[in-house]
Amino acid sequence: MGADHVSPGARVAEAVQTTVGSLVSPATERQREIRRVIALCLPFSVLLVFSGVFPLTEMVRISFSESRLVTEGFTLEFYRTLAADPYYRTIAFNTVWFAAATTVTSICVAVPVAHALEKYDLPAKSVILTVLSFPNSLPGIVAAFMIIILFGNTGVLSNVIAFLSGQSRIDVAIATSVGGLFFAYIYSMIPRALLLLRGTYAEVNTDAEEAARSLGATPLETFRYVTLPQIKPGLIGAFILVFRTGLAIFGTVLILKGLLVWTLQIDRELAQGFNIAQASAMATVWFVVVLGFTVLMLRYTSAEVSI
Amino acid sequence: MADRFERGSLSARFGRQTVKAVLALTLFFLAFPVAMTFISSFASDWFGVFPSGFITLSNWQDVIVGTGVGADVAVGSSLAYSTGLALAGVVINLIVGVPIAYAVARYEFWGRSWVNVFAILPLAPGIILGVAFLRTYPDLSTSGIALVIGYSLLKAPYMVMAVQSSFQSMDLQQIEESARSLGASWPRTFLTVIVPNAKTGIIAGSIISWTLAAAEFNFSYIVYSRGTPPLAIFLFNNITNASFLNAAAAVSVFFLLIALVTITLQIIGNRGAVQRI
Repeated sequence: MGADHVSPGARVAEAVQTTVGSLVSPATERQREIRRVIALCLPFSVLLVFSGVFPLTEMVRISFSESRLVTEGFTLEFYRTLAADPYYRTIAFNTVWFAAATTVTSICVAVPVAHALEKYDLPAKSVILTVLSFPNSLPGIVAAFMIIILFGNTGVLSNVIAFLSGQSRIDVAIATSVGGLFFAYIYSMIPRALLLLRGTYAEVNTDAEEAARSLGATPLETFRYVTLPQIKPGLIGAFILVFRTGLAIFGTVLILKGLLVWTLQIDRELAQGFNIAQASAMATVWFVVVLGFTVLMLRYTSAEVSI
Repeated sequence: MADRFERGSLSARFGRQTVKAVLALTLFFLAFPVAMTFISSFASDWFGVFPSGFITLSNWQDVIVGTGVGADVAVGSSLAYSTGLALAGVVINLIVGVPIAYAVARYEFWGRSWVNVFAILPLAPGIILGVAFLRTYPDLSTSGIALVIGYSLLKAPYMVMAVQSSFQSMDLQQIEESARSLGASWPRTFLTVIVPNAKTGIIAGSIISWTLAAAEFNFSYIVYSRGTPPLAIFLFNNITNASFLNAAAAVSVFFLLIALVTITLQIIGNRGAVQRI
């Protein structure tokens, strides 16, 4: 055996030793910098592992557990239930179509609003901006209460519609139906879509728009062929952000109960007999689907999609 | 754009009106129920179209002192408890958020964009994280510690983003090198020069993550088991159990909190942060 022949294990050990050595007593400025970066990222990593990665891993393990009270064994029973039971299939379908419909609606409302905010001279603009962003910090349960104020049994709009149509106001109150839930969802979603779209709108090239107008394009044509392509990253970003939000909404639907969606069913699994394995299986499916969706969609946009 | 184009086609004639109408309707939809909630919290009954019997403070009194029936906890104890929990979450956020924001803003390193993604992307929403916590930390759940660490993970992205926006407006390399050349060690430079310079971002980030932690319902609802309810649970109890006008008063307490926070943020002058909240 030649002296130059070193086993792979020894080579790895040596590499580790050099790395650790350079971190303990760095020789170059570059090594010092790496040491600083690691020190700066360390607290966050600890939090991420302790309160994020570890619990989520446990959650996945529980969903495969055969025993109810401790995590042991391996069974696909809970996933089989999710796949085979038509009850769960209906819930999954409800969740997706409802989130998609409310997302599209909110974006369709947010685009003209962002347009007006960016292009028009509006009085009291800062007040308008505050009002439009206020719901962002309201939890879903408060959004639900807002809908009860508007469309509940004594709701203001219920009263107005009842007066105009001559029906009893209990009959026209839609707060706890699918319609009410729809409004409650978009109450939380429109401000979020706006947040992202306003950022994109601010970067639109107004010269191109003015050129299109002076060449004879109507405002609608200008919007369709000049503005829309420019705000496309923002639209995709808003779709990702708002759709994710829509899938995660829980408090709102817990109060209004208009439609049985995935998050509400997770709570029911826990509330009715603490079926944590089934709840964990549902949470795991949710997590994987949303993560996959986000990663897939992020390839189609350059917009800042963070929160 | 100039008015001389405003003729001819349908969209030129009605486009602007339509867009303005959508804006007005959206403003009404978002703001009107907030205003009605606040107003009705001072009313003694609401049977007709509008609340009536002004002005009574009994709804507010029920919320502030507690009624002894239904949602019987006073807002004071819930608010104090939530304030404490959320404050502890903010402290953790400061310890984890400020350094990582600085690392990403100042240094070039392998995997930097991934670190950034992990720091500002919420890993899982409240309800999923809540389920994950249930059996992982059963002993912590009853003490409020689980709530604190959950809040700090859920709200860390807001802290990181607010601090990063502060860092981005500074010439970090120059500041750091000046301090170093004057003889300060690197840890000292970080703590006594860099961190104070990012003051606005840090304050804004703390306020935002505090507010959002105090308002976090989904996670609290799953993890909370007994004792004083956090503020969001208190609101939920009021909305589902208390009389309608009591609930309006409880929700109004929350509005006042948010309004106070928004005004504070505007005074600090961190415009990016005001938008985020």
